[in-house]
Amino acid sequence: VILSVLLACPLLGAAALTLVRSGRLADVLHLAAALVTAGSAARLALEVWREGSVAGAAWGLRADALSALMALMVAGIGLVAGMAVPSYLRIEQQNSLLEPARAASFRPLYHLFVFTMLLAVTTESIGLMWVAVESTTLASVFLITLERTRPSLEAAYKYLLICSVGIGIAFIGTVLVYYADLRQPGETQQALTWSGLLVAAPRLPSRVVELAFVFLLIGYGTKAGLVPMHTWLPDAHSEAPAPVSALMSGVLLNVGIYALLRFKTVTDAAVGPAFAQGLLLAFGLASMAVAAAFLWTPRNYKRMLAYSSVEHVGLVCVGLGFGGIWGVGGALLHMVTHALAKSALFVLAGRVMQRYRTAEVARVRGLRHAMPWTGAAFLAAILALVGLPPFGLFVSEVMILRAGFAGGHGWAAGLALTLLVAVFAGVLRAANRMLHGRRPDDVATGEAGASALVPVGLNLGLLLLLGVAFPAGLAEALARVVRVLGLGG
Amino acid sequence: MSPAPTPGLFSHLVSLLAFAVVTVGFLLLWRQSLPARLRLFAAQSVILAALAAAMAAFTDNVELALVAAAILVIKGWGIPRILVRVAPAHPRPTGPTRSPAGLLLGGGALVFVAYAVMLPVAREAPLPTASGLPLALATALNGLWLCVTARRALTQVLGFLVFENGIFMLALLATYGLPAIVEAGAFLDLLAAVLVLKVMLGEIHESFQSSDVDRLRELRG
Repeated sequence: VILSVLLACPLLGAAALTLVRSGRLADVLHLAAALVTAGSAARLALEVWREGSVAGAAWGLRADALSALMALMVAGIGLVAGMAVPSYLRIEQQNSLLEPARAASFRPLYHLFVFTMLLAVTTESIGLMWVAVESTTLASVFLITLERTRPSLEAAYKYLLICSVGIGIAFIGTVLVYYADLRQPGETQQALTWSGLLVAAPRLPSRVVELAFVFLLIGYGTKAGLVPMHTWLPDAHSEAPAPVSALMSGVLLNVGIYALLRFKTVTDAAVGPAFAQGLLLAFGLASMAVAAAFLWTPRNYKRMLAYSSVEHVGLVCVGLGFGGIWGVGGALLHMVTHALAKSALFVLAGRVMQRYRTAEVARVRGLRHAMPWTGAAFLAAILALVGLPPFGLFVSEVMILRAGFAGGHGWAAGLALTLLVAVFAGVLRAANRMLHGRRPDDVATGEAGASALVPVGLNLGLLLLLGVAFPAGLAEALARVVRVLGLGG
Repeated sequence: MSPAPTPGLFSHLVSLLAFAVVTVGFLLLWRQSLPARLRLFAAQSVILAALAAAMAAFTDNVELALVAAAILVIKGWGIPRILVRVAPAHPRPTGPTRSPAGLLLGGGALVFVAYAVMLPVAREAPLPTASGLPLALATALNGLWLCVTARRALTQVLGFLVFENGIFMLALLATYGLPAIVEAGAFLDLLAAVLVLKVMLGEIHESFQSSDVDRLRELRG
């Protein structure tokens, strides 16, 4: 039942928001929908914690520990980014960059977008998951073109075309998995489910499974932003309105990784872990390298954050490639910590953009004077993002690197570490330029719409908690998710 | 649902239709005029529908017959009609065209790639339709090839549609149709993607005064 509630919340929210299109009531409805969705996700996580897994009433919905973690992430970041929406829309309208009619279509699409992501992570059927992941693209494409600027149209067109092709390639992979499971021509089969596939995995023909995984890696890897299929990502993530960027960088990429994780588990069971690990390691390191090359001298801070997402997705894949409890557990934790840091940063970047009216690093000066709170939070979130203690990303990065050095992947771990250091230098240099220096005279001081800072503070607090305390329940929760992935007994 | 009654005839028919789809795909690469390409795309979709119908007839599968009808109506008739209507607004960009010889050569190479990838897979299962699997992948790859070599956005969309035909063909041949909900969802999703792309083309044209892909170069670095 809780699964149906979880999925119904954003849908009902979207429906209600198409009726109530503007004004205070729309904002209240929007926040209520986001809040109730996050609440149901928390409830779901609690039930999964107690019972291991929760089955839905219909549609083949089912949530195990991994689904619960993902749902919690989607709904949680959906709430955080959602809290920044009202002030974002208000300021854009004040600056007359946004027509009221378009602002009104923003909120329903936002909740539809959240719905498609939640469906993707809670369905048992690999076909339905494919449909849901494709729908995430369709739901989010008009969010990117909210302001109808030329760059945003170009970005949305690239995003739609490249991701549709990518998802088409994932469809080929899905069909091949289905084909591998086909015993008799014309035989009726039950819809392919994760649990059914895991049982069947050992008898699946290994060549077909390997080929299917390659297609799936390219396909869902496109959604996740892996190099060389990442080319849409910096455009889409930098041109989208800040709350949407936060959602896309924070969790949409993770939904792509979720799909890969599920298929990796099946592939591991069919042909052994070495095959998928090698591929993930190669794609992951390539992503980190390409991102690091850009991040050495970033000129546009929104693109900097977008490329940093490519880097972190790469690191997550490297962690999965190292394997073992430390590698996979570290990768999972890293998905969470990165989602927290990146969504906070995009919300903050949106505020900076609204004040300075530029996305260029060179033209943002004296941020800490112009917006003291935003500036301080920006600095803290950047420090968290580049992996400094005491924030959570430090812990997850150490876990991943430890898995690499201990697991005989010394060279790969060394390379990943080098790339992390390079990114560290580049990103900090850019942030430094933005924070200090003299504020341009035409830039006002003070904080407007400061309510958007509350969720940012929440994210930073969580990151601090994960970095300093590493709550006891967390290790157990991670271990349970890792077990779902067929590791650690 | 029973196994195919006369595998010999059935698999010959499937191979024939699959070859026809690939051949039309090559004609599509070769012709340069957009209306001609759209007609060829419609023809390819009709053949694909015939393939689905043949499979439906040989396996007594009602769902497949519905799929065939949907392909015929939507991709053989609806989408080409929509695209023909927007075509005049997107004149061919000036400057050198892509050489048809180069396009065909690339397409031919992709057929080899498709065979290299899919033959081992086709040998794994005793399906009478397995011989068509490499041809389905070849169609999908040719669509992508059209997409990446396109100089205007409308041709890219057309390439995407051919790619889609290829993956539907693959799904048909490899699985005799996926479960109904997946089939319907996939079909609707991709249809929606095409419609959204079409809307976006209009907007791009409006604000860029052009739909040359070369003009879409503002976002760099």
